[in-house]
Amino acid sequence: MKAHTVFRLTLTFIFLLGILVVISGCGQKGPRVVKVALVAPLTGDIAAHGQGMKRAAQLAIEEAVQSNRFKDFKLELAAFDDRGDPKEAVTIANQIISDPAILGIVGHLNSGCSIPASQVYAKRNVLMITPASTNPKLTQQGLRNVFRLCTTDDVQGKFAADYAVDNLKIEKAALVHDKTAYGQGLTEEFRKEFLARNGQVLSFDGIDVGEKDFKALITRIKGESPQLLYFGGMHPECGLLSKQAKELGLSVPVFSGDGIVTPEYAKIGGPATEGDYASMIGSPPEKLPAASKFVANYHQRYPKNDMQPYDPYTYEAINIILDAIEKTGGDRNKMIDYIAKVTYSGILGESSFDERGDTRNKTITIYTVRNGLFKYVD
Amino acid sequence: MFFQQLVNGITLGSIYALFALGYTMVYGILLMINFAHSEIFMVGAYLGFWALSLLPVWVQGWTPGYFILVFAIAMMGAGLLAVTIERVAYRPLRRASRLAPLISAIGVSIFLQNLVQVTVSAQSQPYPDTFKISHYEFFGVQVNSLQIFIFALAISAMVLLQVFITKTRLGKAMRATAQNHTVSQLMGINVNFIITVTFLIGGALGGLAGVLNGMYYGSIKFNMGFFPGLKAFTAAVVGGIGNIKGAMVGGFLLGIIEALTVGYISSAYKDIILFAVLILVLIFRPTGIFGEEVTEKI
Repeated sequence: MKAHTVFRLTLTFIFLLGILVVISGCGQKGPRVVKVALVAPLTGDIAAHGQGMKRAAQLAIEEAVQSNRFKDFKLELAAFDDRGDPKEAVTIANQIISDPAILGIVGHLNSGCSIPASQVYAKRNVLMITPASTNPKLTQQGLRNVFRLCTTDDVQGKFAADYAVDNLKIEKAALVHDKTAYGQGLTEEFRKEFLARNGQVLSFDGIDVGEKDFKALITRIKGESPQLLYFGGMHPECGLLSKQAKELGLSVPVFSGDGIVTPEYAKIGGPATEGDYASMIGSPPEKLPAASKFVANYHQRYPKNDMQPYDPYTYEAINIILDAIEKTGGDRNKMIDYIAKVTYSGILGESSFDERGDTRNKTITIYTVRNGLFKYVD
Repeated sequence: MFFQQLVNGITLGSIYALFALGYTMVYGILLMINFAHSEIFMVGAYLGFWALSLLPVWVQGWTPGYFILVFAIAMMGAGLLAVTIERVAYRPLRRASRLAPLISAIGVSIFLQNLVQVTVSAQSQPYPDTFKISHYEFFGVQVNSLQIFIFALAISAMVLLQVFITKTRLGKAMRATAQNHTVSQLMGINVNFIITVTFLIGGALGGLAGVLNGMYYGSIKFNMGFFPGLKAFTAAVVGGIGNIKGAMVGGFLLGIIEALTVGYISSAYKDIILFAVLILVLIFRPTGIFGEEVTEKI
């Protein structure tokens, strides 16, 4: 008798569950769901960058939803974590192109991820705007769906080398990179210009991402007595490099690129990072009149978080995609054609893309560490 | 510069050697490679991290005792973890084929790494800067107090272990168990207890290496055990796996080779050269530097 009751109860439960499924299925009809994807390392060592990008993207989407910009669509952000790993990036790219609701991608952060992933997006003509990948090869592949909102390494490396020679009066430098598409690419561009300006490159070494002991390398570099230690890579390695250099008595500034411009840098490297330099894409948000509202909104929405360097670029990239959706009705092909021609004015000033898909805005700013924070140098 | 590289290499080698002891002790007794040892190292580093950041200030004021307390917490925790792993994941498989506990060890390693990644943090965390580092210079060679501390601690731990193994009754029982489980049992040795003690000591030394690693480099992460674990295992093999002196010598050798390779050849080729040395040693001395030819038990 008891077993019988249990059986009937189970049947009723399954029946109710079935009804629920049908109801929720009906609920999904309604306005067309449109998604913009954000892909960045949301976990792992450089998650500080990626989480900042996600916050900026979230803010852009929320603003669009609140202002009721899209009457026919239900707008959503789809955030993906590529962990800064090229293999993971390709897996996620395949996942993204199989979702017809995703009309555009903002990402990836690492050039090593952006390059293979962009080829996947090209298969289905999905628009991709990277706010952070600076390796020139990304837009040299001849893919029409790929755009870049940040300045490339050839411009940045050259600018950094010129700054080192002209302003810091550096003649001899030791170069280290992290063997990634970004780090090595940037360091090679720096070397090219530094040599052209009659600088002396004492050594050129590669280290591994995730490595912690640079003492042997620094001991050797110290023997070469450089005036500057240039590093191409991200903040976890650069912070330790700077710290260990000063511990071993190599008291020269470390000069790096946009990959280290985050408050995390000085947290890892400690007081040793004081006076280190970094080149950064674009103008500082504090100096852009149009960005002041974004900066204020960002701090209001996320009072507990620091703004990370790529956040304004991510915010702008999302808004450019939203503009394209608005103007083309959300057709993947038309969106790409639209963006290739548009001059968008937003928080970064006026942005437009050249025939390769690179932004025409080529500004670079030099930052230096003061009291544990990056401050721009005029 | 050569002597500076030697100092760098010896510090690195001290950590490898402490770490390698855990691999070699377990191998000596059970003839199995404990891949989870790299996670014991990581958990030890985290226990030290919590002890350093959470212990109340009045304890911190009492400097030497405070450090002893921090090391005790990390070593006890790591040792107990190693014992638990043995009890849960290896003992039930002791009579299974030799591959089974190996796979089980890899499983435990992945489990612990992911557990820490999910429950603690997926990012690097800065290690508390409580150890006051003072720098010294001898004839142009930079040495700091932390390097001396690490070296001294590693050497004394190793000497104590050596004395324990050769001079005490328990050590004798461990050596007997390493030679033959069945005969040791017939002689009245509680083999399970000896194995537990082995894991406890090996784990504690691994935990100590973890804390020292965290203090020395200033940051820890859930996967921090992987690469040093690979190097420490290599050190154990180069020295002769199963042999305690071999693990120490192998550890120092590996650290020094690593520093000199980076210093005189190339940092990018560091690991290639390191593992080429491993292969060379094994070609000429398949049992490692201190390893002995053991006739197969029938």
